[in-house]
Amino acid sequence: MKKPTFLLSILLFIILGLFVTRVVISNTISTSGVALGQMQDELRKYKIENALIREKIFTLSSLSNISSEAARIGFSGSKSNFALSKTHPIAAAR
Amino acid sequence: MILRYRTVLLIFTLVFGVIILRLFYWQVVKASELSKLGQIQYGQSIKIEPIRGEIETSDHFPIAANKISYIVFANPKEIKNKEETIKILSQRLDLNQASVSAQLSLDLFWVPLARGVDSGLRSEIEKANIPGVGFEQEFERLYPEASMAANLLGFVGRDEGGSSKGYSGLEGYWDRLLRGKEGSAVQIRDAIGRPILARVNSDEPFGTDGSSLILHLERGLQFLAEKKLKEGVERYGASGGMVGIMDPKTGAILAMANFPSFDPQEYSKYSDDLYKNSFISNLYEPGSTFKPLVVSAAFNEKLLTPTSRCPICTGPISVGGYDLHTWNDEYYPNSTMLEVIQHSDNIGMVYVARKLGVERMTKYLDKFGIGELTGIDLEGESVPHIKPENLWYEADLATAGFGQGISVTPIELLTAFSSIANKGVMMEPHVVAAVKDENGKITKIPPKEIGRPISEATAKVMTEVLVNAVSKGEAKWAKIPGYRVAGKTGTASIPIEGKYDPNKTIASFIGFAPVDEPKFAMLVILDRPTARIYGAETAAPVFFSIARDLLTHFGIPPDE
Repeated sequence: MKKPTFLLSILLFIILGLFVTRVVISNTISTSGVALGQMQDELRKYKIENALIREKIFTLSSLSNISSEAARIGFSGSKSNFALSKTHPIAAAR
Repeated sequence: MILRYRTVLLIFTLVFGVIILRLFYWQVVKASELSKLGQIQYGQSIKIEPIRGEIETSDHFPIAANKISYIVFANPKEIKNKEETIKILSQRLDLNQASVSAQLSLDLFWVPLARGVDSGLRSEIEKANIPGVGFEQEFERLYPEASMAANLLGFVGRDEGGSSKGYSGLEGYWDRLLRGKEGSAVQIRDAIGRPILARVNSDEPFGTDGSSLILHLERGLQFLAEKKLKEGVERYGASGGMVGIMDPKTGAILAMANFPSFDPQEYSKYSDDLYKNSFISNLYEPGSTFKPLVVSAAFNEKLLTPTSRCPICTGPISVGGYDLHTWNDEYYPNSTMLEVIQHSDNIGMVYVARKLGVERMTKYLDKFGIGELTGIDLEGESVPHIKPENLWYEADLATAGFGQGISVTPIELLTAFSSIANKGVMMEPHVVAAVKDENGKITKIPPKEIGRPISEATAKVMTEVLVNAVSKGEAKWAKIPGYRVAGKTGTASIPIEGKYDPNKTIASFIGFAPVDEPKFAMLVILDRPTARIYGAETAAPVFFSIARDLLTHFGIPPDE
């Protein structure tokens, strides 16, 4: 008669243990959906920020913008090119 | 007793049997019909637009990109203070109060108010905290370089279904690749019609984003060409102009400029005729810039050499009832072919054309691709009509010799002329160098040879003839000191109502450099310059002005 009681106690203990584990784990992951949602919102926010910064970079680094800013600051284009030719080596000079 | 029991059992069995049959009928036989009805009542198919591919120049700068914009929408059933809302929204969105009021009066859960709203304006409207007003993100085309290469790029508008669609230029030609593949989802509505959920129902529910294009176009060269072209058009009082710069070895288009142009960001504010790329769409009589092709043909057929003399170059001649003159009424008796090109002698060219004859002339027009599409990867290319051989008159042959009475597109002429720079090999012009898919995989587009109209030897001889034309011809005052440039001026009269107007011309210059290993071939065209009418005095200085900077850009030392 002792053996069935012992087995029942063990089973009961296991059931209780699993129940407590389940409660603890459910509790822990119950808010992960919210956290995941928050992370996705932040991700979306950074993606939008990146896209806006990218737009700004493109506009500022465009040649049309650089050209007008350069003119405003006082840069002017080079007017003439010239080539420097090498002097002849001594042996070839006569 | 048993009988009563059995009777009741039978009745119950029959009743349940009928119910089961009826259930089978509604749940199996009529299942798909009822499901569709349910979807219609509670579901709505929505499109998920993919992100359009970008267009990058050779330095990987996106000359056509995407920017975030917003659709401002409202839920009329949730608007509390309608008058106040109409006032605020019409002011912020710069809309008519009547149109906003009309939208908010609709018996719907979602009404659009404005599109293309940027994030700055969105923040302003959000701060107003208007209940029932929301924002939906979408992507809009951004052209960071504004109107640069606008005619080459084209623009993005909307088709009949409201989806983005590319028109003209690259956006039009490569639209299917750029736009990607749409996704679809079913939006479920609750009992009172409010959307509650979207359900995706296919293998690729979110579609596929568009592929991007990487061009041969060099941003700096494009900027340079546009700037110099605009200056030239304004200086010489022309109606417009075009410049095309090509790598003769590969057919790569390094720059292509049109003036006047438009801003693809605001395309609807411009006239339709500004959208087209004149360099590939306009037909014109090329005039003297056509002479190198005719002379090349005669050299290639070994009918003439650079030292062959022209026996008819003593004065004007009459052909088929038409009197033909030189452009300046100066005549050089017994001049060589070298001198005919140097002086741009129309009578000399009549001699060359007669030597060729109609059969060889049409054969070489075909070999040079005149009268056919070049195959350039842009939407809107035109093709001139060349008369069949049996319909040519003597006058047609004579005038074709000096580039009148025959039409070409600028891209056709540049492509054909580039064969002289490329040892006789004609390459297909291409704007796109490679395609990059949504995963970043790059597929290069290789150069394509489309013909060998002349031999390498003929090309070499013709190159020296053209160098001589630049050094000693009418445009010698504009040439770049220290550099050998091969080229030809052109001053073509414009046919108006069956006659040529002597005061209206298409002034042009075509050439390539450096002569030994050409890095670029370029065609400059000014339409109806008024300050001066000759190519040597208008298009040539623009050409050499651009060429000077090109030679510096390519790091080419003097070779003279």
